[in-house]
Amino acid sequence: MSQFTQQVILGLLLGGVYVAVALGFSLVWGILNIVNLAHGALVIVGAYITWDLFTRLHIDPFLSLPVDALALFVIGYALQRGVINRVIRAPLLFTFLLTFGINLVIVSLLLLLFTADFRSVTPSYSGSGLQLGSITIPYIRLGGLLVALLLAGVLWAILNRTRVGAAILAVGADRDAAQLVGVDLRHIYALTFAIGAAFAGVAGGIISTFQSITPTAGDPYTLQAFAVVILGGLGRVSATVAGGLAFGLIEVLGQSTPGLGSGYANAIAFVVLVMVLIVRPRGLLGRLA
Amino acid sequence: MTAAERRLPSRVRRSVVAIAAVALAFVILAPLTSIDAAQQAGLPLLTDKLWFRIATTVAMFVVLASGWNIIGGLTGYASFGNVAFFGLGAYTVGVLVQNLGWPFALALVAAPGVAAVFALIIGLPLLRLRGHYFAVATLGVGVAVGEVVNNVGALGASTGLFLPIVRSDLIFFYLMLGTAVLAVLTTWIILRTRFGYGLLAIRENEEAAAVIGVNTTFYKVAAFCVAAALTGLAGGIFAQWNSFINQENVFAITDNVQMILMAVIGGAGTVLGPVAGAIALELIIQTLAGGGSGAVYSQIGLGVLLAVCIIFIPRGVIDFFGGRSRLSLRYFRQTLRETSA
Repeated sequence: MSQFTQQVILGLLLGGVYVAVALGFSLVWGILNIVNLAHGALVIVGAYITWDLFTRLHIDPFLSLPVDALALFVIGYALQRGVINRVIRAPLLFTFLLTFGINLVIVSLLLLLFTADFRSVTPSYSGSGLQLGSITIPYIRLGGLLVALLLAGVLWAILNRTRVGAAILAVGADRDAAQLVGVDLRHIYALTFAIGAAFAGVAGGIISTFQSITPTAGDPYTLQAFAVVILGGLGRVSATVAGGLAFGLIEVLGQSTPGLGSGYANAIAFVVLVMVLIVRPRGLLGRLA
Repeated sequence: MTAAERRLPSRVRRSVVAIAAVALAFVILAPLTSIDAAQQAGLPLLTDKLWFRIATTVAMFVVLASGWNIIGGLTGYASFGNVAFFGLGAYTVGVLVQNLGWPFALALVAAPGVAAVFALIIGLPLLRLRGHYFAVATLGVGVAVGEVVNNVGALGASTGLFLPIVRSDLIFFYLMLGTAVLAVLTTWIILRTRFGYGLLAIRENEEAAAVIGVNTTFYKVAAFCVAAALTGLAGGIFAQWNSFINQENVFAITDNVQMILMAVIGGAGTVLGPVAGAIALELIIQTLAGGGSGAVYSQIGLGVLLAVCIIFIPRGVIDFFGGRSRLSLRYFRQTLRETSA
């Protein structure tokens, strides 16, 4: 039984990472209608910034998260304003392919800058954890989950409690109507993407604390962000949180099912995903509109 | 596409004829250039083995891009799971030849059948989804099938399957070329039938198509099966040609993205667009991938090229042929205005 509890806790902690990765992805998809295939690459840029600050200046990974957010915010704003805005009204497939091209460029640049060597961030507390009876909760994983929930709160507050957030939601609901009431579309598009990128950067900082990073380590996270958004549904912060936690649980519990191993992680996730899509094409908690 | 649009101006027609003549010369003279007997007899070589391999790869991508075009370009359903059909075709040949001892020719007939049946099974539920949702669901199918294959012992698991080596560049070149011609012909014929008009109607407005009496479910699934059969056939040929298959080389999602790029850069929804895209892009990729340390720069180059193509020529290079548009600054400005914020 405690074995099962341990698995559930590990699943929720892993789910926290997926929440962090998926928040920005979900925002960009929901508002801009762009499935950003470069999202994983942006995550890894954040991870490299944290690694760089940790190895050169010995800054604690959790303290460098604001730096990740700021750097990625600037990169994201420039990317959307300079490049993606050019095809924002083209059919879905084109933005899809464009972001794939951006992904290719970012990954290659990372390869040039940091080589393909495995890099890891190892603060002094990375091996230790909270001991509750026979259950262990690693500190860094717990920290990751808390940061993810904090991010979700921040995003919710931005969207629902600020003027900019209202403009972003308005653009998501109806671009033309938003423009009519005086919203600067180009700026709001860029801002939305920048916020998504900043969140990706923070997620990358978290990821660097428990996983070795390479320039290509982000690609699986793009797929997983996809899965989380589908599972939860588009258009609500709470749906992304629920989707992320559920996805983490499914992955950990699926792998520990007898007969299946870690080799089936993606297959389990995507079978679940496809079944959700067939039964509820808008996700489990998604809005119908 | 109307008859008037299809009629090419003479300038373009001449260049098409010239290119076709060169390609035909290569195809006909190929036996003289590559077979070992010719080499031993000291006959002059027009091409070397590397170019033969590249030509076969180009033909393979013509099949994949044309196959994707049938479901993605004509029907408007951007499938990211076509690579699963390629992999299934390859593994069908692999298992039948290696594990069950079938002759290659017989196994090759089974490959498109297996792929088409699989397309039928997943197509019925998945083709109800639209846009991003269809893209992701098919992507999931591609990843999941690859992973299952990677874990099943009878399929060689993560080691992969080794097939008896058949040493003949010629056979595989002609097989692949024949399949490419078949794929182009299939697209051409589809576009001239009631079936093709039904698919285009679905792409433009599915509800309206249903209202005017198109059996959308049947049409979509049929298009998916045709695409799968062609892709599976290419996969089956690849298995024997490469004589080694595993998850990485036949279920690569990047291959799927590549076939989409080829179709889109060439001109999705047209007969010759995917062919032009496949030839151009594959040759660029092969050239860029030449050097070892240059691989990184080639990736950057490919990414930038992709972005430039998507931004400036979203209708594909085929748009410049046929006299509908001319390559000019005005064209770029116009496409930019149409799509940017």
